[in-house]
Amino acid sequence: MAENTGTADTDNADGAIEILFFKSDSCPFCPRAEEVIREVIGEFDPGVFRLVVINVSEKPEVAEEYGVFALPTVVVGGMSVTGVPEPEMLVKIILGSRLSRKRRTTR
Amino acid sequence: MSKFTIERVRTGIPGLDELIEGGFPRGDTILVAGKAGTGKSILAVQFLYKGATEYNEPGVLVTLEEPPHLIKRNMMRFGMDLERLEREGLLAIVDLSPSKERTPVMVGEYPSFDLSGLEAIILSHIRRIKAKRVVIDTLSIMAYKFRSRDILREEFFKLCASITGEGCTLLLTSEIPAQDTGLGVFDIETFLASGVIVLYNEKISETSRSRSIEILKLRGSKHSSRIHSMRITDEGIRVWPGEIPGH
Repeated sequence: MAENTGTADTDNADGAIEILFFKSDSCPFCPRAEEVIREVIGEFDPGVFRLVVINVSEKPEVAEEYGVFALPTVVVGGMSVTGVPEPEMLVKIILGSRLSRKRRTTR
Repeated sequence: MSKFTIERVRTGIPGLDELIEGGFPRGDTILVAGKAGTGKSILAVQFLYKGATEYNEPGVLVTLEEPPHLIKRNMMRFGMDLERLEREGLLAIVDLSPSKERTPVMVGEYPSFDLSGLEAIILSHIRRIKAKRVVIDTLSIMAYKFRSRDILREEFFKLCASITGEGCTLLLTSEIPAQDTGLGVFDIETFLASGVIVLYNEKISETSRSRSIEILKLRGSKHSSRIHSMRITDEGIRVWPGEIPGH
């Protein structure tokens, strides 16, 4: 798990929706992408999300495990967005991941 | 005439080195292009296998398409045991094939990304096993994974420079679409590389095909300008330098 790599900045408590953010030291778009993610998360109650930041320059093996090599990339519930995301798109995949989670629990 | 000679990296592929002054120029990027089923991946992996087993040059295989277990199974047919090389630290297989269980489904792409992740992954393996040879198989799959081709084109140049900057000789494979006359889906493949090898498997009659190989360019080398016979034998690819198809 990405949380166990020692690279993650973990926000919020367990049981929250996990957002994986892959970035690197050299990627010029990554700081803006991280800002967008934090802005979107900030619109929700604290504890709803857990943000895990993976710096691929330091932990390339985590990116390899997930098959993520274009940066920035955000992963939520098995779906990903590459590039600086629009806030609406992020909300969309978050909602998508919540729905798929609900579907699993009601089966 | 200058006495300056370019250091060569022997491919170890029987018959091929004779066509290219003994091998690829060390630290160059070489493109192996061909339509589906022409033997690009076999040639590329054989280059790594021979490097590891005959020339003490460890290699990194980056697979963007075929899962490692299938590559290993297919190469065992030619007596090339990749798993053993992995165990001995002579080969690293970087699995970036789409079939990986944890790979997320990409639902959005914005034209503001780079391939610094790919670079970091590859460089970490190069440094870990002190690799001298790198294969990326196949570049073409990126065209189906990402829409932003302008970004990819620019990023490929940076990636190649970064890998060869580590002292590695880089071999890229590129699939030529069935009806296409170019050398790949990005139209820049030939500019990326200082050497281009094209593989053919042409239909010569209703019941047979003939394999051949052409060295289209190889900077700094007096290479053969003819198309030569090539076969996939029980021991992998073999080239017949003196044999011209159809003659």
